[in-house]
Amino acid sequence: MIATATTGVNAAPARVPKARKTLLGHVPIESPLYQFHPVTRLIMFIFFGVIPLFIYLPEVNFLLLWVNMGIMRWGRVNINELRKYMPVIFTVAFFMFIVVVLAPGEDPSYTPLDVGPITIYYQPVFFAFAAYWRLIAMLFGTILYFSTNRERDMLVAMRSLRLPFIASYVVGLSIRSAGMFLEDFRTIREAEQARGLDTKAMRLRDQVKLYMMYLVPLFSIALRRADEISNALFARGYTLTGRVGGGGKRADYIRAQYKLRTRDWVLIVSMGLIFVATAIVQMRFGVFSIEYSPLNIYLKQLLGIPG
Amino acid sequence: MEGQASSVWTIEEGEVRKPGIVHVVMLALFTGIGIVVGTFGSLAVPIGFVSAFWPGQAVQSIGSIWYGWWGGIAAGLFPLISNSLSGSAPLPVSIAYLPANILQGMVAGWAFRRWKADPSLKDGRDWGIWILWGSLVPNAIGAAWGSTMLVAFGLITQAAQLTTFLGWFIGNTIPTIVLGSLVLKYVSPLVVRSKAFCKGYWA
Amino acid sequence: MSIAIRIKDLEWKYENTTEFALRGVNLEIEEGSFLGIVGANEHGKTSLVMAINGLIPQSYNGIYRGDVQVFGKSVRETDAVELASQVGLVFADPEAQFTAMTVEEELVFGLENLGLGLAEIRERLEWAAEVTMISELLDKSPYDVSGGQKQRVAIACVLAMNPPIIIMDEPTSMIDPLGKGLIFDILRKLKEAGDHTLIVIEHNVERLVPLADQMLLMWQGNIAKLAPTRQFFEDPSFLIERGVLTPEVSEFAEWLRLEGYLEEGTPLPLNLEDGVEITRQVLEARRARA
Repeated sequence: MIATATTGVNAAPARVPKARKTLLGHVPIESPLYQFHPVTRLIMFIFFGVIPLFIYLPEVNFLLLWVNMGIMRWGRVNINELRKYMPVIFTVAFFMFIVVVLAPGEDPSYTPLDVGPITIYYQPVFFAFAAYWRLIAMLFGTILYFSTNRERDMLVAMRSLRLPFIASYVVGLSIRSAGMFLEDFRTIREAEQARGLDTKAMRLRDQVKLYMMYLVPLFSIALRRADEISNALFARGYTLTGRVGGGGKRADYIRAQYKLRTRDWVLIVSMGLIFVATAIVQMRFGVFSIEYSPLNIYLKQLLGIPG
Repeated sequence: MEGQASSVWTIEEGEVRKPGIVHVVMLALFTGIGIVVGTFGSLAVPIGFVSAFWPGQAVQSIGSIWYGWWGGIAAGLFPLISNSLSGSAPLPVSIAYLPANILQGMVAGWAFRRWKADPSLKDGRDWGIWILWGSLVPNAIGAAWGSTMLVAFGLITQAAQLTTFLGWFIGNTIPTIVLGSLVLKYVSPLVVRSKAFCKGYWA
Repeated sequence: MSIAIRIKDLEWKYENTTEFALRGVNLEIEEGSFLGIVGANEHGKTSLVMAINGLIPQSYNGIYRGDVQVFGKSVRETDAVELASQVGLVFADPEAQFTAMTVEEELVFGLENLGLGLAEIRERLEWAAEVTMISELLDKSPYDVSGGQKQRVAIACVLAMNPPIIIMDEPTSMIDPLGKGLIFDILRKLKEAGDHTLIVIEHNVERLVPLADQMLLMWQGNIAKLAPTRQFFEDPSFLIERGVLTPEVSEFAEWLRLEGYLEEGTPLPLNLEDGVEITRQVLEARRARA
């Protein structure tokens, strides 16, 4: 007879995971964004990545940043995840401003401002401010994409844009191999820790040396893996030329599961129109130029800077 | 010296070398390694979009030395992804960096083949070629092109270009020499015996 | 029965090595048969099966002499697509054979290479997933499943391509006992269906023996013994000297024989049922004597 036992403790309700780990971060398991075709989402990525190039007004780029954040929230992205980008976001700002303070350039039209013991110039500093928000707006376009698209979505989008199979395959395998490389790295580190290595107690110089030494086994594993994967590809009938059996066209089973719907076309066309309109009004009329910035105008008035 | 070095690159009589699936796979794996090294290099020392102290350059040079054009393609491809992941450059800027990334990757591969330097850095001549053509020249190309692109995109002023160039060049050259030398010295002996190693530019 | 695989005077030496991995192998394998291959590590088992599926010499550099023919055609003259449609190979390390992001993509990759249409791909995908019990894993990354599931995914990939010859190189070496049982269940089903020529390299002879029609021992790059399964295990010491463990039930029966409980010439049992039967006979004989 089989003995059974009960603990008397009620099991906690199972936690339903909200995010799925990808090789590039996390994406929500369910998101309203997923109703759009992967190619639409890729075009959205390009749209948000490129449109700030035409916009010099920090106010508009700041607004674009909030639009991105709004889409992320609507798309159920865990906003806390964005904290990992904070160091980069702050140090970009630091770098951009330090460069214009140290190397403002020489221009008689620049207005000097004394800030404590140092003299800064208004125009390059405001230029750096505007450039910073352009950059951040573009970066958030990228963050939005990687926070809401799995590797599979990227591949489907690339194949939908008729990229050769080998190109999308290389991109997919690259992303996956990045994950494998990290996994190998973790395994090597754990093996060292299991043997009593305490990296926290090490001096920075020794830590750097140690990290460098990890690269030797990591590269060796990559070499072996290249052999294994190429063998697996051969065994599955993959050829360098991409020729498929029967000499016909490759059926793309995964891509065939996705269909472009009306909402996709509406969004793609809308983004296209906004993009073209923005480019035209900026290139012909300079509507988004820095001199039209309300903040710039206000500061100039405040500081008594002419023009 | 010359005899030993040339043996790595010399194609033996009757030896047939042609591009195969293993090269495509190696391209992908090297791109993956570049993504990790490039992303974490930028995240660990986040000096922003000028990518100062960026160890990715070491991967670019090594890739072209070992795998010729396959490494060169990887050199162009992985910064597109690693810059996006680390947030160190937006997509249009990364695309604008592309020609310089391929070029700064391929310079080392070209020089090692041109002067038959041993990837395992066996003597002073190999070291000289590595430091000059694998580190200094590629980083000078990258820094010049990159800072010019930043000006072109209106992300820095013309006046800030020289400062950016110097920060970029110095900051990238140090990890390239440290990381690249170590990997070349200790991993090359394995690589030159592997079937993916390219004596020529494609095989 | 026609010959599925014919190997003639095969010699192979990998680039940058001093010894030949295969030294004049001659072998014929009948269509529809199940061949078990055993042998110590580094004695040429994997090289032999890689020569059958064409990886040697098409994907490796080295010295190749002799010939391997699959259904009458030399593997040297057959391209990857055609070879893959005829010979499926499951590797020992399941992770080493994954090439895609999800299990589903993993399965359809080979089918797309074969040039099949969407409807047939779907049909084969569903069938292979069902046979290997991985239908619920299709949406997952092949890296995020257990060791046994990974190996079943790898088998499903090969099954879906439906090659007439299926080779498995130590398919259970990296998985737990329960997982091993599931893999051998799949092999049993395949053998019963009789549609494939099966070649399995395995150290775990206990489970292999009940399925294999013939067994082959690789030793120092050549075939040391090839015989119908029962005959193959008749001289256990020959196998043990060459690093092959015989089934424990056979060893037990051999001990009974050495101790005089079992008559000379009694065929050694190869599976548990036969072992139980022989033990029952021995006990009955003792009881009768008492």
